[in-house]
Amino acid sequence: MRIAGFIVSPLLALVIGIFFLGLAKKIMARIHWRYGPPITQPIIDVIRFFSQRSVSHGPLFDLGVVLSLAGSLVVLLFIPLGGIHPLSGSGGLLVILYLMLLAPLGIALSAAEGANPNISIGISRTFLLMMGYEVPLLLVLLAVMTEYQTISIVRIVEAQREAGIALFSIPTVLSGVAYILILPAILGVRPFDVAQAAQEISSGPMVEYGGPYLALATIQHALNLVIGISLFVDLFLGGAGNPLTFFLKMLAVFVLGLFVNAVMPRFRIEQAVRYLWGWPTLLALIGLIVVMVI
Amino acid sequence: MDRNQLMKWLKAPAKMSNKYSLHAVYFCTGCGIIEVPPSITARWDAERFGVVPAATPRHANLFLITGYVSLKTLRAIIRTYEQMPEPKYTVGFGSCPINGGMYWDSYNTIKHLDKYIPIDGWIAGCMPRPEAIFVAVTHLWTLIDKDMADGYKRYRRNYRAYRANQEQVLGALDWPPLFAAAKEPLLEEARA
Repeated sequence: MRIAGFIVSPLLALVIGIFFLGLAKKIMARIHWRYGPPITQPIIDVIRFFSQRSVSHGPLFDLGVVLSLAGSLVVLLFIPLGGIHPLSGSGGLLVILYLMLLAPLGIALSAAEGANPNISIGISRTFLLMMGYEVPLLLVLLAVMTEYQTISIVRIVEAQREAGIALFSIPTVLSGVAYILILPAILGVRPFDVAQAAQEISSGPMVEYGGPYLALATIQHALNLVIGISLFVDLFLGGAGNPLTFFLKMLAVFVLGLFVNAVMPRFRIEQAVRYLWGWPTLLALIGLIVVMVI
Repeated sequence: MDRNQLMKWLKAPAKMSNKYSLHAVYFCTGCGIIEVPPSITARWDAERFGVVPAATPRHANLFLITGYVSLKTLRAIIRTYEQMPEPKYTVGFGSCPINGGMYWDSYNTIKHLDKYIPIDGWIAGCMPRPEAIFVAVTHLWTLIDKDMADGYKRYRRNYRAYRANQEQVLGALDWPPLFAAAKEPLLEEARA
């Protein structure tokens, strides 16, 4: 059962992530009053990227993008996806915090080989944005860990089954709201798509990727969506006993996020950092104090 | 449209995905930039055909050149075309890239774009309406289906002739040849 989890968990995340990419295109199109592409469009794109050949800029260019994808896959093993949790017994939230750094680091290592000025701008923006959301994220996770007296996500999910969903219970509600406010930054979607802004810096770190590199980067982006949302569902919406309920909860969070995504313009990077260190950090800090006092 | 026929996908996944995922570089240095935004936004929504604007040539496989091509932009067009991964398709939009159009006697524009890079299809008119882009896309699907959209193969096969044409109008090119075939004349010279 546990060995099966090692295969099922990344596959499930991949399917959900690619589905979310397609759903995002379709819902955005309907909000724009367009018909929109078929919901399978990301699959078509990924097949095309894999069928093409691309230039390489050196060994690090090849390995970095693989490292980034591997980082995302490893994080997924530690996050319970509705009862499937092959590795979440060992390490818990602290390991996830460390491993979440691997994905952007891999992209940065790989893309920097390309020596395109747009790439350097994109990478510096990626890390500035990370600096912005890591502070409130750490405060939020600290509040959750203090409240439930554990670092294991499985225990947190179980505790919520007894005591009620964390987002709607008094001590953790502020941390939950703070996580919602920084969720788009963690996922790297609008209004926080500063790093991969197609219109101003030609997709940033993605600018030199073509063919299989772009396919792997697309898959990594899809997995990143699943990581950010499933962490929220596990920590604040009480997780789920089976994958279907878990998926429905993720879908609800994702679609609500899309409505914000569709109507917001893009922040500039200094506006993004100012926002992230403003209200979300303040809420997370107050949430931490409330958890410690009550 | 055979986008949902599973058997075709299993038989030729590369060809089918190239048909229905056309990420386009719009090269609008001449005219024609007015016709492109309506076609990719809410009015004519090109995304339902899988045609999406790409921010960089590395992501793209459709190259749409609108309006007249001056000598200065020809240089950029060739470099952009050579950076796109194969298979790639090129469409000339408007009458100027076809035969010079109203700039037929200009000293600084080229008259036949297909002498310098291979073109898979033309959209005639001055200017064509945005719907013409969709007509072109459906024609391109047919050509891809019959393996007739082989511009990138022609470029590889006749690279020496294309390079010679490019050097004739642009002078010495400041980038190395894309294909190794250009080394052959050197060998012949050595033999003579």
